[in-house]
Amino acid sequence: MTGLNYQDMISALASYWAERGCVLWQPYHTEVGAGTLNPATFLRCLGPKPWRTAYVEPSIRPLDGRYAENPFRFQQFWQYQVVLKPAPEDVLDQYWGSLEAIGVDLTRHDLRLVEDDWEAPTIGAWGLGWEVWLDGTEVTQWTYFQQLATMDVERVPAEITYGLDRLAMAVQGKSSAFELEWAPGVTWGEMFHENERQWSIYNFEEAPVDILLRRFDEHESECRHLLDHRLPLPAYDQVLKLSHTFNLLDARGAIGVTERAARIARIRNLARATAQVYLEVEGERAEPAA
Amino acid sequence: MPSLLLEIGCEELPAAACYEAERQLPRLCLEQFGREPARLLIGPRRLASLVRDLPEQTEPEWIKGPPEAMRERAAAGFARRHGVDPDELEVRDGFLGIELPGRPLREVLQERIDAVVRGLTFGKTMRWDDSGLRYPRPVRWVFAKLDAETIAGHHTFGHRFTAGAVEIPSAEDYPELLRAAGVEPDAAERRRLILEGLPEGWSDPAGVLDEVVHLVEWPTVLESAFDERFLDLPRDVVVAAMQSHQRYFPLEGNRFALVANGGDPDVVRAGNTQVLENRLDDAVFSFERDVKVGLDGLAAKLGAISFFEGGGTLADKADRLAKLVERLGGGEATLEASRLAKADQASELVREFPELEGRIGAEYARLVGYPEAVCAAIEEHYLPDSAGGPLPSTESGRVLSAADRIDTLAVSFSLGHRPTGSRDPFGLRRAAIGLCRLATEGGLAVSRALLEGEVADFVEERYEGLLDVPVEFVRAARRSRVTELGQVAELAKALARLEDDALDRLHTAYSRAERLAGKAEGVAPELNADLLVEESEIELAREVARLTPEIQTALQRGDTEGALRSAAELGAPVDRFFEEVLVMAEDSAVRANRLRLLLDVRDAIGHVGDLAQIPR
Repeated sequence: MTGLNYQDMISALASYWAERGCVLWQPYHTEVGAGTLNPATFLRCLGPKPWRTAYVEPSIRPLDGRYAENPFRFQQFWQYQVVLKPAPEDVLDQYWGSLEAIGVDLTRHDLRLVEDDWEAPTIGAWGLGWEVWLDGTEVTQWTYFQQLATMDVERVPAEITYGLDRLAMAVQGKSSAFELEWAPGVTWGEMFHENERQWSIYNFEEAPVDILLRRFDEHESECRHLLDHRLPLPAYDQVLKLSHTFNLLDARGAIGVTERAARIARIRNLARATAQVYLEVEGERAEPAA
Repeated sequence: MPSLLLEIGCEELPAAACYEAERQLPRLCLEQFGREPARLLIGPRRLASLVRDLPEQTEPEWIKGPPEAMRERAAAGFARRHGVDPDELEVRDGFLGIELPGRPLREVLQERIDAVVRGLTFGKTMRWDDSGLRYPRPVRWVFAKLDAETIAGHHTFGHRFTAGAVEIPSAEDYPELLRAAGVEPDAAERRRLILEGLPEGWSDPAGVLDEVVHLVEWPTVLESAFDERFLDLPRDVVVAAMQSHQRYFPLEGNRFALVANGGDPDVVRAGNTQVLENRLDDAVFSFERDVKVGLDGLAAKLGAISFFEGGGTLADKADRLAKLVERLGGGEATLEASRLAKADQASELVREFPELEGRIGAEYARLVGYPEAVCAAIEEHYLPDSAGGPLPSTESGRVLSAADRIDTLAVSFSLGHRPTGSRDPFGLRRAAIGLCRLATEGGLAVSRALLEGEVADFVEERYEGLLDVPVEFVRAARRSRVTELGQVAELAKALARLEDDALDRLHTAYSRAERLAGKAEGVAPELNADLLVEESEIELAREVARLTPEIQTALQRGDTEGALRSAAELGAPVDRFFEEVLVMAEDSAVRANRLRLLLDVRDAIGHVGDLAQIPR
């Protein structure tokens, strides 16, 4: 193998960003489709407070599973998420530096920023940015957030989301994620091949539609209840569970297109309400009533 | 006279933004510096203008004050505000004012530069700090040199990875020194280098070249090849994999060209080849799964896919298409195709490459062994896919394309999705234009009865822009009795071709009859021959009775010229009638009968259109 193995690559990214003032967060305990949904990004990017964080996030996207038969598509893939709020002026240079830190020679490869604007309707969020190409492979999604929870952001954060699997394939020169070296003598495939197979069966065939539909309603009402009691952090977990339940229903083919828009709107409304209560509670904590 | 270099340094701009800036910078430079740029040097990281022969002084500026009539009340205040004596005010066009002399450009250059930076506008913008500036991507530096003098910033920057800051001694040195730092700043030159570097036989069906020019600052064309096993995939899929994500240029067989911005050619080539093979692998995976399900299996899934909100599922759409195809006179193959036309929407490959819709469906139909007419109709029913794009080449394709457009328009309008201004998210204008062209260029008989209410208006209005005749002729023809969409166009063109005096006679006969009888009261419900007394009214009645069926038959035959000729024959008897007959006769029964006769004249001519629409 030529480049760093997977876990060394993660360590190198972590040290690099820790040196630049990032809090090393950890993956969240509830399923998320992207590191953006981890409260360390979504909630902390609301409001005016500066914030820098970096963490690994296993991203769960049931619809993308391929029963471990496809070496590039997975229902669980790995992101390295970095958030710098507000975005410093040299943020791109810092990013290029992080690639060097994992052994990418910027002069030997062809690195490109290709327009790719990001939008996440379930959380009412969008931003402008790029996909970063390394010799044609998209290795990072780069976004300057403009709106979160349908509200303009107060200070524009830069979100850098490395697709670790593809990045590792480029760094290690492998054509299949299964062949990636995760640790000395241990491959990505050994760790997750069976995981992909079993979860694909669950996502596409065994996930119980009736129960999921019921859970969707339950998470929604629980979220409302928690917001009524001004508990935005637990309420946000219900938003995440709603989102994941939706994704599972989608993978089971149980959501028509019309219904899809309606359910997305239900999640977005709660994401927005949660964000508002979060900001109110944060405001009260910052300025306790006399 | 000095040269000014102004460079707005950005993080990588989308190509569309580069083209937006390219269009605006000449005007902005002229306004602010008094000269258009001699050169525009535009790329993903810089929007630069090189302005030569900068005037030393700005133009004198006329400050308009109050009207001269208000000198007494307002002159003193205006003069004081501008720091001059009221006696110094001049009068121009009835207004008081003062001419501020031009100032040395050097003094105002800073603010003028700022005005250019802030004056650019873009379709899609963002903010990134508290500067209040909105740009497509963050602006990271503004650098300006007036000959050797630095006006703004400190230096420029060369290639992102092979060069750092670049000192520019004098404005005119900018292009050359950037080139030495690995940046070709001139987009036209980059385009030339790419075209020169692309190997023989390159193609660009998706049109990515314009974007690629602004994806690189130092273009290097590399050639590579993917594994031949992927040649078993449909060519469209292979081309889409190369173009839609990767912006490669397909060459013959398994070869392709890519445009890099730097790096070690061997490393870059190997990496890109690997990416493409990964994408093709993914496509093979999807393709094989689709083929296993089969086109009919995919069609069976359409009941679960919504056409669009409130418009039922794609299965519903397929049912409606079948009915429309029958009403359009489509044959068995077209009917079969209508059932399968949308099946590929359920395929994995179309989810991956939406631009391949239709073509993938046709490919799958061929694999199952459907007759070629069926496959062709599926393949072509999205055509024309642009206002001027080619029409389907087969009859079955044209019928299915028309049915698809009629249905989309009807459903969209019924749900209230009417295009407004420039907003047309469902592409309804394009659909309507396509339908119009199918009826004219395509020679397809599209009954006007298939278009209802607002949809009919919306579709037929497209001819106002499509046909090379004044819009009034289209409007006149739209109110004719022709039954097919294409005949509206034929008639409008025939009306526009009429000699002036022929048109005049038709127009006069029509409008005189309409003026007198159109809104009159007490018109007889039917013409009574016994009440006709004057010779010229008897003649007119005879001519109307003879010509009306002639006009109708000619129109039914699609012979618009013949219909117009017959209608024109009414001109002379109408003239005589008006000369010799008093319409408003004393006897109310005779009057009612003459009014009836005039209405019959109007209606006879009205078969060829509402001539009152045409200004004379």
